[in-house]
Amino acid sequence: MDLVVAPLLVALFAAVATLALRSRLRLQRAVSVLGSLAYGATVVALAMAVAADADGYIVYQLSSWRAPFGISFVADPLSVFMLGLTAVVTLAALVFAVRSVNDVGQRLSFHPLYHLMVVGITGSFLTGDVFNLFVWFEVMLMSSYVLVVFYSGPEQTRAALHYAFLNLVGSAVMLLAIGGLYATTGTLNMADMARRLANAGQFNVDLAAVLGLSAMLLSVFALKSGIVPFQFWVPDAYRAAPSPVTAVLAGVVKKVGIYAIVRLYFTIFAAAELPRAVFGIEGSFLAFFAPILFAMAVGSIVVGGVGAMNRSDLDGLLAYSSIGQVGFIVLPLALAAAAPADSALRVLGVTAALIYSVNHGLAKGLLFLVSGAVEKTLGTVTFDYLGGISEREPVLAGSFFVGALALIGIPPLSGFFGKLLVFDAAVEAESALALAVALGGAILTIAYLSLAWNRGFWGAPSPGVEESSVDSLFVVVAVALAVSIVVLGIGFEPLYAAAERAARVGTDTGAYVDAVLRSGGGGA
Amino acid sequence: MTQVVLAVVLGAMFAVGTFLLLRRDVVRVVWGVTIISQATNVYLVTMGGLTGSVPVLGHGGHVDPSTVTDPLVQALVLTAIVIGFGTTAFALVLTYRVYEEHGTIDLRELGEEEVEL
Repeated sequence: MDLVVAPLLVALFAAVATLALRSRLRLQRAVSVLGSLAYGATVVALAMAVAADADGYIVYQLSSWRAPFGISFVADPLSVFMLGLTAVVTLAALVFAVRSVNDVGQRLSFHPLYHLMVVGITGSFLTGDVFNLFVWFEVMLMSSYVLVVFYSGPEQTRAALHYAFLNLVGSAVMLLAIGGLYATTGTLNMADMARRLANAGQFNVDLAAVLGLSAMLLSVFALKSGIVPFQFWVPDAYRAAPSPVTAVLAGVVKKVGIYAIVRLYFTIFAAAELPRAVFGIEGSFLAFFAPILFAMAVGSIVVGGVGAMNRSDLDGLLAYSSIGQVGFIVLPLALAAAAPADSALRVLGVTAALIYSVNHGLAKGLLFLVSGAVEKTLGTVTFDYLGGISEREPVLAGSFFVGALALIGIPPLSGFFGKLLVFDAAVEAESALALAVALGGAILTIAYLSLAWNRGFWGAPSPGVEESSVDSLFVVVAVALAVSIVVLGIGFEPLYAAAERAARVGTDTGAYVDAVLRSGGGGA
Repeated sequence: MTQVVLAVVLGAMFAVGTFLLLRRDVVRVVWGVTIISQATNVYLVTMGGLTGSVPVLGHGGHVDPSTVTDPLVQALVLTAIVIGFGTTAFALVLTYRVYEEHGTIDLRELGEEEVEL
């Protein structure tokens, strides 16, 4: 049972150990990478335990205080799925950082902060308590503020200023919403909250107030995921942060917001029925959020795609692209939210969102790392100074190409199935608008990625590229990620099975409530 | 009565916080964020209901549980205050760093700099 908190403890231990070892440079880095590997191992162990469990839920009640009185940690197929993505992306980025971040930075603060960020991410995925979710968000954000300002140049301080203040206000709003939810539902435990929302009359819950508060909470999660209209901090922050950090920010931290949306809205708030028709919408809370999510997804795809076309540097292009790609994750979620409960479409939509998350995490992580490798070697990623990298560094450029193809969605890469499922969900929902937006977004993706490829990697090498040579470790990391994308695409079946199981669990309120509330706390 | 007073105080705090948040001076923005997060804490306490007595049962003394104020919100606020301290400290350090890098803490001048680049 204690396996649930094992990833958390491993990451925390790695953070403390790397802080303690900061005077022993090589040892610190070895411990840091080993810590990341151990983190991956505990995630695998946890995933196997969850898969072996009959119900698929492993609940850990902190200090044996039973839910809903104590703080619960819940590992289910959904959280384990997200943890798996985290383990892969953070390991790749960490190995990359060992060579790319300067010695002083690594010795002083990089490794502890990096692992603390992983602690925050892990906690957000595992917690079963709304207030606890706020605390883990803060742990994650606090480290990410410092990592964004890591190089402390003029650009970094400006970006960090925006990023930090925006998120501080976001945190205050999140706390307001959580306080309000506690006052109206009388509980903070997610499972207990779902139970009370389902029987609102019996527990005296004012559903109209809960609806407003949950809408408030959605704005916070949208801010964390960088969904339009909360996307404006993304390009600055991503350009300022060191490239391995950007890879984690885009690949994983954004997905924490997505996970929170799936967990809270599809598992918890889905239990509640609208007290009366709001704007002509009736049914569950999810039906109310469906048009909002849809508008956000459409906005993200358009703003991200058009923004990426207009960038003159690789980093900026990728940052805007990640706004657009998150739109592709939210789009099937919106379709799933509009679908009736227990329908095949709801599961399909969430499955599509999860698979697209994995694809985006790996591919965008890879692209940001390649961009980091180019910047480390040439000192710039402005397209005017690039060109012909494919001639000089065919392997690195090849990896970039694979990542770009995965984002575009070319078979047999993992991105193809992600895109396919998004289209499938749009067809199943019989939504012509969704299909048109997804198609338009896909075309924009092709356009800006071929732009990046043509201007940066194709053609005759520019003078700067001619004399450069990329560190071999960067190439190894890029190739490893590219291979994982190809392998996941060819051996797609297990990934699909895992995502579908996660989606089933994520949309099944009853099983979640049963598992958390019935699980004994050992001595209790 | 307490609730009414607190509601007025909350409104005033959010208003002041928002006002400061929209200033050009970074230090005032930090103050704004701090005041908003403190207002959130006051709001949390208010949400717990303020009708009962202190949530201490004493040594062996029996108090009717229904007359006691909810102690959980106090724990929540305590956590939120600690997190608030950390973030405020970071925001102040960041402000100092902005001053070092840009020679100004005026947000409009920071914005102009970007246009020139």
